[in-house]
Amino acid sequence: MSAVVDLLAGGVTMAVPVLVAASGELVSERTGILNLSLEGMVLTSAFAAVYGSGQTDSPVLGTLCGVLAGLVFAGGQAVLSVTVRANQMIVGIAANTLALGITSYGSRVLLGDAQGRTVPGFQPLKVPLLHDIPVLRQSGLAYVALALVVVLGVLGSRRTGLGLALDAVGADAAVADQAGLPVRAVRYGAVLTTGLMAGLAGAQLALSEVHAFTDNMTSGLGYLAIVAVIAGRWRMVPMMLACLFFGVAQALQFTAPAMGVNLPVAILVVSPYLIALLAVSGLAGRSRAPAALAVPFVRKG
Amino acid sequence: MPDLMRHPLTVAALASVLAALVGAGCVLAAGVSPGAAGSALWDGMFGTDYAIGISLNQAALLILVGGGFVVAERTGLINIGGEGQICIGALAATAVGVNAGGLPAAVAVPLVLVAGFAGGAVWAFPAAWLKVRRGTSEVITTLLLNFVGLGLVSLAVHENALLRQPVTSAETLPQSEPLAAGAHLPLLGLVTSPATIAIVLALVAAIGLGILLRGTATGLKLTAVGLSAPAAARLGLPVTRLEMASLACAGGFAGLAGAALVATAPFVLSDGFSSGYGFQGLVVGLLGRGSMLGVVAAALLFGFLNSGGINLQLVAQVPAATVQIVQSLLVISIAGAMLWTREANS
Repeated sequence: MSAVVDLLAGGVTMAVPVLVAASGELVSERTGILNLSLEGMVLTSAFAAVYGSGQTDSPVLGTLCGVLAGLVFAGGQAVLSVTVRANQMIVGIAANTLALGITSYGSRVLLGDAQGRTVPGFQPLKVPLLHDIPVLRQSGLAYVALALVVVLGVLGSRRTGLGLALDAVGADAAVADQAGLPVRAVRYGAVLTTGLMAGLAGAQLALSEVHAFTDNMTSGLGYLAIVAVIAGRWRMVPMMLACLFFGVAQALQFTAPAMGVNLPVAILVVSPYLIALLAVSGLAGRSRAPAALAVPFVRKG
Repeated sequence: MPDLMRHPLTVAALASVLAALVGAGCVLAAGVSPGAAGSALWDGMFGTDYAIGISLNQAALLILVGGGFVVAERTGLINIGGEGQICIGALAATAVGVNAGGLPAAVAVPLVLVAGFAGGAVWAFPAAWLKVRRGTSEVITTLLLNFVGLGLVSLAVHENALLRQPVTSAETLPQSEPLAAGAHLPLLGLVTSPATIAIVLALVAAIGLGILLRGTATGLKLTAVGLSAPAAARLGLPVTRLEMASLACAGGFAGLAGAALVATAPFVLSDGFSSGYGFQGLVVGLLGRGSMLGVVAAALLFGFLNSGGINLQLVAQVPAATVQIVQSLLVISIAGAMLWTREANS
């Protein structure tokens, strides 16, 4: 029994940063912008959060640094994707390399001997009753971030004007433009939302879970978030379930031996990607990728 | 004059200057004199036969992946799956190579390379099939297949029933047995240099692909599909088959790179053996802008910079990440300026 509780608690903890990052990316992708650079955004934010927290001794200020870094990174991505209309795949992949380079360089030069040292972080909230349920034993930052995920989910649902506008821009930007929607502004807003959530995800990973920075500490978390968006077929609730499943699959790597289950780790590691492949293949139901995903918009004539 | 400013080479030169300036800034910020860093970088690139050999071996892999990318790009398909295709190609090549004991190199080496090509092509197939049958974006499927490919390599080298070397003690690493001696890629035979025939192979492949794309009817057909698939179909071209063939070709060349990688020292397959050649090859293919000469030039630049960066860290104590920063800034600025250059040419 306790092994199952451990598994769920571990799974939720692993799922939180993925879900936070994915919910921001979902907004971008619905408007037609693919941020492969999500991995780099989360990594940069994690670094900034650790650096800020170490300098100020305040995890709250550290979180702000992380969010700021996420926003700056996303701002650059938005200029390249929306205004300059660069190829989103190239820029995304190169931006991830850039983030890996900058953070590895920064941790050597700025942190120096303090590399990998623990910085002030967040502890699980001591809320009476809630604290007794292992699955809910999360930090305040996690609760704030999750609340924002819910806000995004409600504001961006297809029952609001905003949600419809997001989908309209992502379905056909030219038509949305003729209907009077500010296509570029919507897309800028969406990418910056991704940056905000990526910043929180990075801070959550670095300050609530690890309390330190190590090179490439996200190791694919951002890509996993993109995969969750795909596996959830660009809808909030299925995407949340996908994140939870991915988290549990990751946690299972550590708890499976204790539960007496002997599964090769690699099978657990690849399961999210196989599920996402199934979801986009159209073999199980219709896939609903935004029609204009990764297609830049320019007003003709 | 504006046409000259908008020429791709001018943009590439300006991007290089920008990236180099940032690189110099990184060196200064690390408290190292630019002279010391420059000579360490130079030594790591051209200073010794060893450095040149390592650089050429890396450039060969990037030419293969990037060249394949260009073939798929010609039909309008973007192959992000190089990393996964390298993995499966290497997996197939290792399976053949460790069992090739006793075979002469003239037989074993081609077998290993063919297995690699086939493995990579097979790994591109699901993406190609979903694209033509279901209309699923190949960008998404090839991206996902990368992670599955990496996972399969990990599975193969951790399971005794698959490719893991016999476990004799607790220290036995999770990696494959070394490939049989006959399956090793022959060295070029330059003095004390680790350069293998991979670079020759890659250059021959690049010339072959260049002729295919520019000088043959097949190349013209691929281009027609890329310009407009419906129009190509109206002309009676087998669009589906051409699209699938071009993506399989891209996968095959990435798989070939995977085979070349495991057939080079230390001759084993292990977790993380590829260290991102798939993504770097993709960038090389994009920078080549449809020209094989461009691909070769970009691959040589990246190959030499990679090994120079390692020496930069070892000798001058400048973080090797500096080279990563310089490379990615180069790519971002060229990608950002593409619209600027395209408008001039249209």
